[in-house]
Amino acid sequence: MSLRFLAWFAVGCVFAPLLPGLLMMAKPALMPEIWQALWADNQWSGALLATLNSTVISVAGSLVLCLVLFCGLWPGARWRRYAAQLPLLLALPHVAFASGFLFLFADNGWLTRLCGISFHLDEYGMGLGILLALKESWFLLWIASTQLNYQTLSQQLTVARSLGYGPLQCRIRVLVPSLLPRLKWALLAVVAYSLSVVDVSIILGPNNPPTLAVLAWQWLNDADPQRVAMGMLTSLLLVGLLGCFIVLGWILWRVFRRAVGRFSGQRHLLNIQPLASSLGLVMTATCIAALAMLVIWSMAEGWFYPAILPDGWAFSGWQAAELSPLGTTLLLALASSFTGLLVIILWLEGGNPRFDLWLALPLFLPALPLVAGQYRMLLILQQDGGWPGVIWSHLLWVVPYMLLVARPAWQQIDPRLVITARTFGWSSWKIVCLVKLPLLARPLLAALAVGFSVSIAQYLPTLYAGAGRFTTVTTQTVALSSGGDPQQQAIQALLQMLLPFIMFIITLQVGRLLGRFRQGLR
Amino acid sequence: MLCVQDCTITRNSRSLIHALNFTVSAGEVLTLMGPSGAGKSTFLSWIIGALPAEFTVTGELWLNQQRRDTLPTERRNIGILFQDALLFDHLNVGQNLAMAIPAAVKSREQRQHCVEQALENAQLAGFSRRDPATLSGGERARISVLRALLAKPEALLLDEPFSRLDQTLREQFRQFVWQQVEQQAIPVVLVTHDPQDIPPDGQIITL
Repeated sequence: MSLRFLAWFAVGCVFAPLLPGLLMMAKPALMPEIWQALWADNQWSGALLATLNSTVISVAGSLVLCLVLFCGLWPGARWRRYAAQLPLLLALPHVAFASGFLFLFADNGWLTRLCGISFHLDEYGMGLGILLALKESWFLLWIASTQLNYQTLSQQLTVARSLGYGPLQCRIRVLVPSLLPRLKWALLAVVAYSLSVVDVSIILGPNNPPTLAVLAWQWLNDADPQRVAMGMLTSLLLVGLLGCFIVLGWILWRVFRRAVGRFSGQRHLLNIQPLASSLGLVMTATCIAALAMLVIWSMAEGWFYPAILPDGWAFSGWQAAELSPLGTTLLLALASSFTGLLVIILWLEGGNPRFDLWLALPLFLPALPLVAGQYRMLLILQQDGGWPGVIWSHLLWVVPYMLLVARPAWQQIDPRLVITARTFGWSSWKIVCLVKLPLLARPLLAALAVGFSVSIAQYLPTLYAGAGRFTTVTTQTVALSSGGDPQQQAIQALLQMLLPFIMFIITLQVGRLLGRFRQGLR
Repeated sequence: MLCVQDCTITRNSRSLIHALNFTVSAGEVLTLMGPSGAGKSTFLSWIIGALPAEFTVTGELWLNQQRRDTLPTERRNIGILFQDALLFDHLNVGQNLAMAIPAAVKSREQRQHCVEQALENAQLAGFSRRDPATLSGGERARISVLRALLAKPEALLLDEPFSRLDQTLREQFRQFVWQQVEQQAIPVVLVTHDPQDIPPDGQIITL
C-alpha cells in the first residue's frame, strides 16, 4: 500500500468523522425558536458577560505580561535565565495549577488566612481571567523566545539606541512590531482556549450564571432536546465570538502599526527592566506558592479556617487516595500518544506539509463545538463510552501538538541521506524505518511526551466520548473541586502534574541513552 | 574629536584588545585592520555601548571633551553602520529616516522635508513610501547611511559596512559614504579586513 494513501487514511480517521458531527451542530442555527429561547433565557446574558470578561482579561493580560517581560528583559542574561524556566512553567497542567491557585486566593484560601484580604475571585470571571492570563503569558513568552532571530534584532536594537531612543522606547518601536506578527497564531490559540475552557471555569469561574462554555456544556447534557439545541447554538456562537476577537485584534494591530510609524522625534530614556524583573519574580512565585498549596493540602491533617498551617502532617490522605483514575489516565494517555505517534509518522512521510495548518486547526478553535460534534458522531456509530471512542476523541488534540513538535526536525533531515539510501535500492518504507526514524529518535520522543501530556489534560473529550464512564485524574480533580474534600483534590491535582513530568523524564533519559552510543544523535 | 585612552578588553582572562590608545579628529577616518577574531567588532560594540556582559573592559572613551563610556548607548550620540543595512522592516523608507531626525525638528512638514531632502541628496528621490524589503542591496545600504547621519551623531562607527556588497557596488558605496561623511565633518572609525576599504590619507591601526 502506498505511503501517501496510508497517510491520508490515518489523518482522515482522526479528522473526517468530525465534519458530519459539526454539520449536525449547525442545525439549531436555522431554527428561530432556539434563538428566541436563548434570548429569553435568564442566565444567557450574564454568562456572555462572564465569558467576554474572562477572555478579555486572559488575552489582554497574557499579552501585556508577555510584552512587559520581553521589553524589560530581552536580550540579556536576565532574559536567558527567565526563558530557562519557561518549559517547566508550561508543563504544569491547567487544572492542577487552577486548583493550587484556588487554595491560594479563594475566600477561605491561604492569602486570606495570612492577611485577611478577600479576593472575590468568582465575580464576573475575574479569577478565571487572571489565572489564564498568567498561564498563557508563559506560553506566549515561550513562543516569542523560539521565534525571534537574535542576531538581527539585537543589532537593530543597537541601531535604534544609537539614534538616541531609550531602552523601552526602542523595544516598543522595533521589537514589538516584529514580535506581534509572529505571535498571532499563539494569540489565536489563547483566545480560542479562553473562550471555551470548561474544566478551569468549573474550578475557578463564576457559578450563577457560569461562563458560556460551561452553560453550553450543561445544556448539551440535558435530557430536554430544546436545551440540547440551545447548547449546540451557544457552542457555535463561541466560534462567532472567536471571529469577533479576530476582527478586533486585526483592527488594533492596524492602529498600532500606524502609531508606531509616526515619529515626533521625542526621545525617552525610560527603562522597565526593574518592573519586568519583579513582575517575572511575582509570577514565578505565584506558581511555586500554588504548587506548595497542593503539596501542603495533600499531607495536611486537620486544616481549618483561619489557621495558617495545618494542625499536623500525615500520609493518610495519600493512603486513602483513589488510584483507579491514575490507571485509566495512564492507559488512555499511552494509547493515544502512541497512536498519535503512528499517525504523525505516516503524515510526515506521506502527507503534504501544506496541509499542516489544517491539521492544527483544532488548536485554534473553541474545543466545545468540536467535542460536541465528535460526540454526535460516536452516538451514531454507537461507539460512545468505549476505549476506542475516547482514544479517538483525544487524538484530535494530541495529533496537532505532536505534529507541531516533530515537523521542524523532520524538515531538517538532509535530503542527500535519503538519496544515498535510495541508491541502495531501498523502498520508502525501508528508508523510513532504517534511516529517518533512528535519526529523529529524539524529536519523536519529545513529540511522544507532548502528546502524552496533552492527552492527560483532556477534560471535555474524556467526559463526552467516555459517556461519563471514564474517570481520569483530570476529571476527578474537577469533580472534587465542587465537593468539600480539598485534600483529595490536591492529591489528584498532584497526580495530574506528576504523570507528564515522569513521562518527560523517561523520554529524556531514553534520548540520552541513544545519544550515548551515537554522538551525532545528541 | 574622539579619543580612546588605554582601552583593554578581556574575556575569560584572555585579553582581546591590549592598551589601545588613539585620537581621531573631526573629518578624519581611522581604520582598524586585523584578521577576523582579533576583537575589532567587539571594540566597536564597546564604543557604542553594547558590549556583551562576558567581556570586561578598562579604559576611557572621550568625545568632544565629554566622557562617553559611562553613558548608555542612547546618550552617547554616536552612530553605527553594520554589515547589514538593518532597516526596520515594519516601517517604510521615509519612516526609517524620520525615526532618526532629532526632536528639535518639530512640525510634521519640516520632518518630512528633511526626509525628502536626504533622499534627494542620495539620488533616491521618491523612495519615501517604498517598502525596505523591495529595495536592492545598494539602495538599502545607502538608506542606512542616511539614517545614521540624520540623527546628527557626533561620531560614526563603520563595522565592515562594505563587505556584503559585490565588487562594483562596493566601490560606488565607498565613494558615497566618504562623500556623506565629509559633509558632516565628524570623527569616523572604520573596521575592516579589506585594504581597499581604507580611505586616502587616514590613520591605520592594525590589531
